[in-house]
Amino acid sequence: MSSSNPTLVFMSSDGVEITVDRDVAERSLLIKNMLEDLGETGEAIPIPNVNEAVLKKVIEWCAHHKNDPASTGDDDDSRRKTTDIDEWDQKFMQVDQEMLFEIILAANYLDIKGLLDVGCKTVANMIKGKSPEEIRKTFNIQNDFTPEEEDQIRRENEWAEE
Amino acid sequence: MSKRCNDGDLLAPYIKRSRIHKAESSNCLSSLSDELLLHILSFLPISSLLLFQSVSRRFHSLAGDSELWKRKYYSQWVRPRARRLASSKHSFLPLSNVGYSPRVSKWLGHSHLTKEGKSTDWQKQYRLRYNWSKGICRATTAELPESLQPPTLVKFCARFVITVDHDHGLRVWDAGNPIVCLAKTPLIHSKARTFAVPTSLAASYRPSQDAVIISVGFKNSHFSVYSMETETPCLTLCFSHCGPAVGAITTIASSYPYIVTLSCRNVLSLYRLPTVKDIEVRGQDDLLEEASLLTSLQSNNITAPMTLSVRNAGSDIISSIVYSFYHMGCGWSIGIQEVHFNERNQQISSRSTTTADCQFGVVSSRPFNQTTTRQQSSLNDYLHRREPSILHREPPTSVSYSHPYLLSSHTDNTLTMHLVVSTASSLYIKGGQRLWGHTSSVSAVQVSDRGKAVSVSSGGGGGDDDDDDVRIWELENLISSFGTQKTFGEKGVQIIPDSKQGLKHEDMDVLSGVPRREPTKDRSSSRNKAYGLARKHNLIGFNDERVLFLRETDMGKQLLKFYDFT
Repeated sequence: MSSSNPTLVFMSSDGVEITVDRDVAERSLLIKNMLEDLGETGEAIPIPNVNEAVLKKVIEWCAHHKNDPASTGDDDDSRRKTTDIDEWDQKFMQVDQEMLFEIILAANYLDIKGLLDVGCKTVANMIKGKSPEEIRKTFNIQNDFTPEEEDQIRRENEWAEE
Repeated sequence: MSKRCNDGDLLAPYIKRSRIHKAESSNCLSSLSDELLLHILSFLPISSLLLFQSVSRRFHSLAGDSELWKRKYYSQWVRPRARRLASSKHSFLPLSNVGYSPRVSKWLGHSHLTKEGKSTDWQKQYRLRYNWSKGICRATTAELPESLQPPTLVKFCARFVITVDHDHGLRVWDAGNPIVCLAKTPLIHSKARTFAVPTSLAASYRPSQDAVIISVGFKNSHFSVYSMETETPCLTLCFSHCGPAVGAITTIASSYPYIVTLSCRNVLSLYRLPTVKDIEVRGQDDLLEEASLLTSLQSNNITAPMTLSVRNAGSDIISSIVYSFYHMGCGWSIGIQEVHFNERNQQISSRSTTTADCQFGVVSSRPFNQTTTRQQSSLNDYLHRREPSILHREPPTSVSYSHPYLLSSHTDNTLTMHLVVSTASSLYIKGGQRLWGHTSSVSAVQVSDRGKAVSVSSGGGGGDDDDDDVRIWELENLISSFGTQKTFGEKGVQIIPDSKQGLKHEDMDVLSGVPRREPTKDRSSSRNKAYGLARKHNLIGFNDERVLFLRETDMGKQLLKFYDFT
């Protein structure tokens, strides 16, 4: 069924067609499962939630990681222990916040676990070590607590000093 | 065409998530779904999670997500222990033998948190566990009203503090708020209609009935059993027994329907109470006097401290007494005697062993075949091989036994831990490990079946409130190095009952309404007081949230101290 250098065509939400190597595309479990179930139709696969810029970025990540071992699933514990991100991924994630969240959403939608984790770790690192006020500023979040409530929560949560 | 559209139904069967983010140009953290936010939060350390809770209402509830904290709880407390246990299991105890079954879930100490149909606030549990591990708690003190007759007896069970004294009878207090007396009953003996003098008290929780069973032993060698449902605290006298005149009952223990008592003349008696079914059949009045005495033992050469216990092991009932005695070669030692009964109340066996038998590391396979000469030579080996030897020149200040842990506290600032191995074929005491950490005479120790122990010493100071040194021990950690040459770095966790952590420190006018005294700052004032003599501590007990102990002041007053870890 597959040719020597199989490729697929994605169509982004803004109507741009992008050609992708099949093994790169299969980093996405959504695409992989779809191909297994439906086979190749030869038509462009619409990726309705992801625009061209984001899709290219996602494909770039998949291409770089196309030889990564598949995640085993039982490494949950150790995976969460660290927010270390390898150097290439760190560079890759040096994007503005909007793009960062777009990548997370796309990774979630396309079911690319590795990319989702890298994205979430990047956000976690942005939260780490910041005061609540700094977090609000960084992510433009409205504080909907009354000063009394905020004070109470602060007191309740003073216990961890790690 | 808008920048994005959501009409791609081709992929719809593959969309696992029900919540598809509706993209807007203002993508920000708040626009992510709860699921994605939780994924991000799962990468955060505890300290960041707590700060994150202050950001906004939505993030407060997300970062307090019970599943998130459950995962943190497991990776912090449960999994490391599981790994340790797995690695230490082989060097430890024979797990396959009947009569000894430390189920891993119980050992891991979290099975009680994961009961069906009961939702657990894992953030709260994590915090509780964290506080225990750091010894962080709030301290409150309550003064017991003076009683003319022998001092008030106190026990701590489930979330109740139970007190009994001649003048006020049996009373139950809420441990979380000890101003509230939940239930009380006078100690009127059913037949004699006279007030009896209580000399011992025991309380045990009975999960099947969700009730606390309280047993009170009296000076006239009678005992009574009360039950109280935890939902609606109301004391019901279930049983009252007039035994033979064996002297005042100094120690009592129960595991319903069994009661074991020890009198001041060292008579040990094991009774089986009539069950509810019996009572229904025959009517209550008859039964109030009728407990079947299963066995009675007397000993002349055992001395305090002693402790009793009854436990179920499969279909058997095992009643045990732990006592102290002086051994010529080994100094003060601890003995244990077990009496086994089957379901039909027939005695199967009675056997005993002592720590003297295991002092020299020759125990294990043939503990009963030692000759005196072998003991002596082993003692020499032992003394030369290992430091420190366990040779107590003074009797232990307290002993506590919760199978398989046997702990004793000593005036030489240490605790000694042994493990009791009770199998179908043998009973022996294993190990013998000193626990260092206290800096003055240890007045009391208590151990729970989950392998947590709490000990208290007077901290070396004088007569003030706040220099009691209370330490928490996770014995499981220590067991893994049992039998090896590893030295202990473990000093226990010292309780820091303080408001330094910003915890609320409420003064409670409890029981008798005496305000808490300010701690004296001058710690060196009465340092010359002989250890253990100036004040007596009596560790009443502890549960997952609190430690409670009783202190007698120089003036003969009784103070209750609560350490609250929530």
